[in-house]
Amino acid sequence: MAEKKVILKLDGLSKRFQTKNGDVEAVHEVSLEVRDNEFLVLLGPGRCGKTVLLNLIAGLEPPTEGNIFLDGQAISGTHNSIGMVFQKTGMLPWKTVMQNVELGPKLAGEDKKSRRERAQKYIELVGLKGFEKSYPAELSGGMKQRVGIARAYANNPEILLMDEPFGALDAQTRYAMEDELIRIWEKERRTVIFVTNNIEEAAYLGDRIVLFSECPARVKQIYDIDLPRPRNNVDPKFLHIRQMIAENTDLAL
Amino acid sequence: MKQKNLFLSILYTILPALSVVCLFILWYSVSNQRPDLIPTPADTWERFLLTFEKPIMRLSFFEHILASLRRVITALMFSWVFGILIGTVIGWTKTGRALVGSVFNMLRPIPPLAWIPLITIWFGIGEAPKVLIVIIGSIVPVIVNTQSGMERVEQLYLDVGRVFHANNRQLLFEIALPSALTTIMAGIKTSTSTGWMVVLAAEMLGAKSGVGFLITRGMDSGDTALVLVAMIAIGVVGALLAVLISLIERMVCPWLRKK
Repeated sequence: MAEKKVILKLDGLSKRFQTKNGDVEAVHEVSLEVRDNEFLVLLGPGRCGKTVLLNLIAGLEPPTEGNIFLDGQAISGTHNSIGMVFQKTGMLPWKTVMQNVELGPKLAGEDKKSRRERAQKYIELVGLKGFEKSYPAELSGGMKQRVGIARAYANNPEILLMDEPFGALDAQTRYAMEDELIRIWEKERRTVIFVTNNIEEAAYLGDRIVLFSECPARVKQIYDIDLPRPRNNVDPKFLHIRQMIAENTDLAL
Repeated sequence: MKQKNLFLSILYTILPALSVVCLFILWYSVSNQRPDLIPTPADTWERFLLTFEKPIMRLSFFEHILASLRRVITALMFSWVFGILIGTVIGWTKTGRALVGSVFNMLRPIPPLAWIPLITIWFGIGEAPKVLIVIIGSIVPVIVNTQSGMERVEQLYLDVGRVFHANNRQLLFEIALPSALTTIMAGIKTSTSTGWMVVLAAEMLGAKSGVGFLITRGMDSGDTALVLVAMIAIGVVGALLAVLISLIERMVCPWLRKK
C-alpha cells in the first residue's frame, strides 16, 4: 500500500499536571503521524493518559511541550476541522436531537435551512430518523452516542476524535455500535482517532493500533491491522493479533 | 399486584383532599368549643359574603387581592430580570464575583422588612416603596440560584461548546445559561412565594389596599372573621401562584416534561 498523506502530526507532545503531590506526567513525548482517512485506535491500559492526549489534540488543554500540526500548520486551541465524540456523550439535555446535532454549524453562524438539512442527513445516517424532536433523556445510551456521532459529523470535521465512546454501553449494544460506526465511517470517510482500553474493540475497528504504556502514556508499539472488514472476532488471525497485543500490554492496577 | 397499585394510586389521590378535610374538621370543632379564640367556618363564610355588600376602603374583596397581586407581579418582573442579570455576573465572571459578590453577601441576610424605615424616608408611603420592599425580598433567591447554577455548569458541557468552537458569548447563552435554567427556575419559584409573603407584610405596615391591609384592619377593629377570610385568601392565592409558576417552568424547560 502506498504511503498515504499525513493529515495530523504530533511532535513530542508531553503533558504534566501540578498536583498536591508534585508534578504528574500524563503524556510523555508522544510523536505520531496520523494518515488521511485512516481509522487509528489509541489503545492503552486503564488510567493512562490517552484521554489527556485526546484533549490535547482537541485543543481543550494546551500541551506542556510539543506541537500539533494539522495539514502541516501548527495549531493551538480548538479547531473547526477537529470534531469530538465524548465518552459521557456530552448531550446537552435542554436541546432536542436536532438541536444537538446542528450545534456546530449553528455556533459557526450557518443559516438555519442549510444547517438543518445537513443535520437531518446525519441524523438519518446514524439511524435516528423520527427522533429529531426527542430530548436526550428520552434516548437510550446507544442512541445518545449515535447523536454524538451525528453531531461530530454535522460540523464537517476532517478529523473525528472519539474518547471511549462505547465504554459506558453494555456488551451487546457495544458490539452493535462498533458495527454501526464502521458502517457510517465507510459511507462518510474521515480520519478517526479512537481511544479505547479494550483490545478486542481496538482490533475490531482499527486500521492501525497505537499501543500506549501505563502512566505516563508513551507510544509502545504501532500495529498495522490488515484484516478485511467486516472483521470476525473469532477468526484465527484476529485472535492471533489480539493475543499478540494482549501480551505486550502493561497491566493496569 | 395490579390491584395493589390501583389501591395505592387511589390512596394518593384521596390523601391530599383528606388532609384538607381534617384541617377543616379541626377548625370546626375548636371554633365551636371556643368561638372567642377563632371564628367558626359559618361566621367566616358570612364575613366573606359581607365584603361584597360592604366594601372596605371602597374596594371589594377581589380588588384588594388584585392590589396585592399587582404589587407582587410588578416586583417579581423586576426581580427576575435583574436577579438573573446580577446572578450571572456574580456566578459567571470572576471580576463580577469579586466586585458584587461580597456586597451582595452582606446585604443578603438583612430581612426586607428591616428596610422599611429607610425606604419610607426615601420614597414616602406610595406604591413604589412597597414594590421596592418586595423586590428586595424576592430578588435574593433569584440571584442565589442563578449564581450557583452558573458556577456549577458541568465542565463536559463547556468542553462540548469549546470543541464546537463557541465564543464566550455563545458559551454563555448556548451552554451555561440553559444548563443553569432548572436551578434558576427553582429560584424563581422561591422568589414568588417570598414575594407574596413580603407584600402582605409590607401592606400590614401602612397601606390602604391589599390583603395585608385587610388583616391589619381586622385586627384593629377586633374583626377576627375578616382576618381569617384574608388568611384563607392568602393561602389560596399563594397556592395558585405556585401552580402558575410550575406551568411556566414546563413551558420554559420542555426537556423536563417527559421524564
